[in-house]
Amino acid sequence: MQVEKFSYDNLVVKQFAIATLFWGVIGMLVGLTIALQLYIPELNFGIPYLTFGRLRPLHTNAVIFAFVGNMIFAGIYYSVQRVCKTRMISDFLSKFHFWGWQFIIVAAAITLPLGFTTSKEYAELEWPIDIMIAVVWLAFGYNLIATIVKRREKHMYVALWFYIATFVTITVLHVVNSLEIPAGILKSYPIFAGVQDALVQWWYAHNAVAFFLTTPFLGLMYYFLPKAANRPVYSYRLSILHFWALIFLYIWAGPHHLLYTALPDWAQSLGTVFSIMLIAPSWGGMLNGLLTLRGAWDRVRDNPILKFMVVAVTAYGMSTFEGPMLSLKSVNAITHYTDWTIGHAHLGALGWNGLLTFGILYWLIPVMWKTELYSKKLANVHFWISTLGIVFYSIPLYWAGLTQSLMWKQFTELGVLQYPNFLETVLQIIPMYILRSVGGFLFIAGIFLCVYNLVKTAKKGSFEKNEEAEAAPLIKEADKLKRGMIHRWLEKRPIKFALLATVVILIGGLVELIPTYLVKSNIPTIESVKPYTPLELHGRDIYIREGCNTCHSQMVRPFRSETERYGEYSKAGEFVYDHPFLWGSKRTGPDLHRQGGKYSNVWHYLHFEDPRQMSPGSIMPPYPWLLTNSLDTSSTSAKINAMRTIGVPYGEEYENFANKDLMNQANAIADDLLNNGIPADPDKDVIALIAYLQRLGTDIKGNKK
Amino acid sequence: MDILTHKQTAISDEKNEIGKSCYHCGDYCQDDSIKLDEKIFCCNGCKTVYEILSANKLFEYYSLEKNPGIKKNEKIKRNYEFLEDLELKNRLIDFTDGTITSITLNIPEMHCSSCIWILENLYRLNNGIINSRVNFLQKTLNIYFNETSTSIKEIFELLASIGYEPALNLGQKEEQFSKLSYKTLYFKIGIAGFCFGNVMLLSFPEYLSIGTNELPEMKKIFAYINILLAVPVFFYSASDYFSSAWKGLKKKIINIDVPIALGILVLFLRSLAEIIFSIGPGYIDSLTGLVFFLLIGRLFQNKTYDTLNFERNYKSYFPISITIKEGNSEKTIPVEKISVGNRIVIRNDEIIPADSILIKGRANIDYSFVTGESIPVEKKNGDVIYAGGKQIGEAVEVETIKDVSQSYLTQLWNDEAFQKTEESRIVSLANSISKYFTIIILSIAGAGAAFWFSIDSHIAFNVFTAVLIVACPCALALSTPFTLGNTLRIFGKNKFYLKNTHVIEKLAAITAIVFDKTGTITENSLSEVNFDNAFLNDEEKILLKSAVRNSSHPLSKSIYRSLLEFSIHKTNSFEETPGKGIFASINNFTIKIGNNNFVNEKLIIDDEGNTKVYISINNDPKGYLLISNKYRTGLKQIIEKLKRVYQLALLSGDSEGEKQKLRNIFGDESNLYFKQSPHDKLNFIKTLQVKGKRVLMLGDGLNDAGALKQSDVGISISDNVNNFSPACDGILDSKMFHRLNDFISFAIKSKKIIITSFIISFIYNIFGIIYAVTGTLTPIVAAILMPLSSISVVLFTSFSTNFVAKKEKLL
Amino acid sequence: MSVIFVLIGASLAIAVGFLIAYIWAVKSGQYDDKYTPSIRILFDNQKKQNETESKSDLNNKQGAA
Repeated sequence: MQVEKFSYDNLVVKQFAIATLFWGVIGMLVGLTIALQLYIPELNFGIPYLTFGRLRPLHTNAVIFAFVGNMIFAGIYYSVQRVCKTRMISDFLSKFHFWGWQFIIVAAAITLPLGFTTSKEYAELEWPIDIMIAVVWLAFGYNLIATIVKRREKHMYVALWFYIATFVTITVLHVVNSLEIPAGILKSYPIFAGVQDALVQWWYAHNAVAFFLTTPFLGLMYYFLPKAANRPVYSYRLSILHFWALIFLYIWAGPHHLLYTALPDWAQSLGTVFSIMLIAPSWGGMLNGLLTLRGAWDRVRDNPILKFMVVAVTAYGMSTFEGPMLSLKSVNAITHYTDWTIGHAHLGALGWNGLLTFGILYWLIPVMWKTELYSKKLANVHFWISTLGIVFYSIPLYWAGLTQSLMWKQFTELGVLQYPNFLETVLQIIPMYILRSVGGFLFIAGIFLCVYNLVKTAKKGSFEKNEEAEAAPLIKEADKLKRGMIHRWLEKRPIKFALLATVVILIGGLVELIPTYLVKSNIPTIESVKPYTPLELHGRDIYIREGCNTCHSQMVRPFRSETERYGEYSKAGEFVYDHPFLWGSKRTGPDLHRQGGKYSNVWHYLHFEDPRQMSPGSIMPPYPWLLTNSLDTSSTSAKINAMRTIGVPYGEEYENFANKDLMNQANAIADDLLNNGIPADPDKDVIALIAYLQRLGTDIKGNKK
Repeated sequence: MDILTHKQTAISDEKNEIGKSCYHCGDYCQDDSIKLDEKIFCCNGCKTVYEILSANKLFEYYSLEKNPGIKKNEKIKRNYEFLEDLELKNRLIDFTDGTITSITLNIPEMHCSSCIWILENLYRLNNGIINSRVNFLQKTLNIYFNETSTSIKEIFELLASIGYEPALNLGQKEEQFSKLSYKTLYFKIGIAGFCFGNVMLLSFPEYLSIGTNELPEMKKIFAYINILLAVPVFFYSASDYFSSAWKGLKKKIINIDVPIALGILVLFLRSLAEIIFSIGPGYIDSLTGLVFFLLIGRLFQNKTYDTLNFERNYKSYFPISITIKEGNSEKTIPVEKISVGNRIVIRNDEIIPADSILIKGRANIDYSFVTGESIPVEKKNGDVIYAGGKQIGEAVEVETIKDVSQSYLTQLWNDEAFQKTEESRIVSLANSISKYFTIIILSIAGAGAAFWFSIDSHIAFNVFTAVLIVACPCALALSTPFTLGNTLRIFGKNKFYLKNTHVIEKLAAITAIVFDKTGTITENSLSEVNFDNAFLNDEEKILLKSAVRNSSHPLSKSIYRSLLEFSIHKTNSFEETPGKGIFASINNFTIKIGNNNFVNEKLIIDDEGNTKVYISINNDPKGYLLISNKYRTGLKQIIEKLKRVYQLALLSGDSEGEKQKLRNIFGDESNLYFKQSPHDKLNFIKTLQVKGKRVLMLGDGLNDAGALKQSDVGISISDNVNNFSPACDGILDSKMFHRLNDFISFAIKSKKIIITSFIISFIYNIFGIIYAVTGTLTPIVAAILMPLSSISVVLFTSFSTNFVAKKEKLL
Repeated sequence: MSVIFVLIGASLAIAVGFLIAYIWAVKSGQYDDKYTPSIRILFDNQKKQNETESKSDLNNKQGAA
């Protein structure tokens, strides 16, 4: 028996690494743009595709799925081959994965500014792209799992477990959160509504953070940190424990994103409990990473790669401590809907994901190009300005979040709100926004240095597409023996067999139960709550298209400060026809759930034309195109049909009359505008949007009267 | 990293001292005469390994760690012919399909990442090796190789040639068994833990009684999922308790597992009934939690046992194979195949496998294994050599007079008198409590049910089951293993290693203590060296020290230790004649150290009792050193203390030479017995036991094996922890001898802690039963009470043992 | 709140999947050795030919890393 000779596929690693940097630059530039727009609203140049509402999802998607995503794949393709001592099982799938993923990113970069969005955070892409994601993701998964199966090293290094967890969990998350009914080629409605949709979304979003931004990066940390430091991980035993504890706890922590919402109390408490429990494994992992460098701190001092990694791991520890703290109800009451959350997310993304990415790339590129890093000094500079950037980014946002939250909750001695005008609280934090964009700028400046340094490094070295390697084969006889054992294990012990059977039945049973309960759940619990009229439905879709939910929440929490400011707190039953839910996660502008009837149609019309006409100093951009765009009434029947399929009780054949109702309502609003001196065509987008806004939160008010 | 850096620090220390270090092993190089590729080596052995590695381009070995190599002893060239023996081969092989074969070897020498690297790259050195994998912590190497192109023998030779000689012993295989049972326990815990976690999660709405009004159907679904999760816990994780209870019942014994099994059973059935008939949420969380905690307790217990379980198979002491001589040819056979009349070859450091007669060569037998006596015994042709002795010096030929299985050592082990009944009083206490406990609980449950039956038959059923649920003696079951496990651990930290937890309980109950003399109350390693009869100036003492430094002989070590304040000269040449002495030339002097015969070529019979070591320098006699026994430090004080509480006795195999000294310590002459044979010692202990005494025997070595085994607690005192007798119940490091009294009193206190924790768990039970019989036991109370009682008992026992240990200064 | 069932179902399915993976891992001896794998990943098994470069190269590489 001879040693087996083979080669590692370095090309795919190179491609993903380049894509990481390319999309990193793009994604962060978009981020800087929208950060600037928060105090210079004109920065969209009057172009609808460049407004904050449309660019923010582009920014998050680009950073998460393009920048971090490509890094994950580069790291996985590099480390899996080496840890398994084998080439990826299929070069075609690697290529397909790479180009497929880039295609998806390009598709996102085109559709999101065009306004094709589901409005669900980190899952904004519309259904055809969702399907593409599923296909490419499964190709990646097959490539990964099959490679692991045919590995030449019996032991599966802990990083592999993190990768597998990433693949399996993200698959399930993506499928569940993308259950939607198409209502057009780039339009769909999620099958869940309101509270349910919110729960699914945040279960998804939380776990996406867990299993896309955390577990794969932990896998990378467990591979690249020991490699860069050239010493084994502090405790391998602890890393195994870290993995299993994280896996079994993470999945339950999702509901903490919905504290004080219409979600049932117990589900909220559950989320909090499990979030707190998560500190233990997370910190175990962080300490394991840091202690790996125990006794080698002198090396950290003059090695920029280790510096990046150390600060990244520290940032992981900080965010995983901050996260559970934010899930405490009393803390959450203050920080939720404010910029604190944005600061928290960026500490994780810039610190943990960003810095670890840079650390890995600074190690990986010289190794793959068989040379030394072009400039250690430049890398050090990069390290310092990006660390500084993170500090400049987070601290102003924490400050802004705290300031705004305190102002929202401030009452005068007479018991009325001290700052009843939301705009006052916005103007107060503009200086923080300016500082934050400086932080962002520094970070981007750093990434340019990184690109320069790495390009120079690559030019200096020589890249080999296929890296020759050899390894002893894994003995097949052992496999046979093992398989025989599992079989015997099952045969000989009926109890264990029964156990497995139970598990299968459990899953099967749940799958069967689901549809029954789904239908039941769409029965309204508040009688006065009625489905949206066709015009309102169109208005709602425009609201989604423009990304209004990125700045406005629709969820009045049961605090006096909020009921005083916005009105009656939101009830779960009010959202039963909300496909999707639009609760939002950030209040850059005021909450809109009780907006209906608060202002006149004219006010809204003029406000859209230029917000500063109505609210001087507002940072909302003007939406003049709403006044000129014609409403696409041809899609009405498709929308009504789709809504009916997922349980919204529109009458039989209502789709045929829907446009008639729509025109009647539109004409009424146009007449009202005309009566107030503003001539407007009833078939414009703005009419539908006004109709939707005037409807918001009125069902329950009507009931009271 | 500790393991990895350890050797390196040691090396660098040495390097600072000397300067030039071997490229391969890092040892000091006397000069740079052994050179290759501009690298210097300390010896040709190291150079050879370097040559092998460099010829195969395995340079990475040296780049991973500095000087990673193992110093190679050139002189020992082992013959691995015996590995051709089919039966022996089969014992080594894990798996084979005729061509591809897997073996697992023990490589004691591996110590750093370079070792891992080279051992996993063996395939580059031998084409027949397909794959090799290291388990660093266990120091094992698993090799897959192709039988058609290489053999076990070749692999051994390869490993030996690069300095990683595999260690072989027969005991190896059996260790793997215990690992398997661990795996099962891990599965059981994993499943119980997983189910417990998820059940808790699904029970949250119930605990907080929220959300259920709006969604009654959800409550129901959750309860059903809980049942599904409880099924594997009940049928799989808890299965041991059922089988143990069943086994007990079959033998008509109500052991501690009976009430536990009953509790689990009732918990499960009642929960099932409640959920199916929509009466309530059931007690699934308590059930899964209970099983989870019980299993954790069991794991803790097993782990503690495992780390302390030193009673290895006696086979581990014997060489796995032996060279026999047939005519003029030598061949190797497995040790069991030796029969009476075989002529066998025993080399330096090999153990004599069976009683034999010396035929050829100068035998110098170290019986420290058997007797604890460190002075090797010289044997002449025709002398009988007993099994278990170790030859020191040149190879000798012996003829066996007994089979291995009949020999002295195995006889000692197999003596029926040494088979102790493993019944422990505390365990039996727990069991006898549980017997009454079960009966009482059943009566309370029955009475409660009978009372309620007249009022409300539904409540009657509830009361009956509720009593059984809360009365489940999990705290009772946990307190013993946790307390004793922790006590064992604390003892272990103080270098007092007990065979198992039963010994603690027995130790707490002893009433008499019997000491052996040699090696027990005397300290082999601290023998007093008397220079009165040696006429040495300081310079000569330096020579003496320099000479004995080269020898590993116990007497040399004693002398060396007595001369610590002197410096050392470099030795020019050195020769050790086993059984006689040392010849060394240092500077311009030659020095001879050894017995009178060797040094002065005279035969003088030594005085009784003490050992003399003669010295001559440049053939000029310098007299002798008198090496006498020294009693262990603190002996007098510890005897003082023990005398007050226990009946003491001293049994010595020697003559009465030290009687006077010993009387000063023991006070009473009537307790001192001399010239005792092993059999006398055994009988002495039997007599004490007949008189109703519970005896603690402190002895040393296999010679006392009978007495150690006969005694209620047999402790062997050891200067070297690895050197022990399988007959004993524990090993006490000689350095800790003076703490003996503390150990005994700590054992007594542990027993009290157990009894206290029994009381605590009874209090919980009484509270629980009050709730239960009044029909007011709610699931939430059960869910709180049951884990609370278990956890608080575990915490109590752990904290109090630690607290007591701190007070006794054992921690 | 029926969506809870979907989520619990999905979460539980994942969890059970990992439980099975855990059992497999323990059973197949993945965790018999909880130390050596951490060292093993530090070795890069390159093809023999590459190592004709002298060992001082390797030493340099080591130093650089």
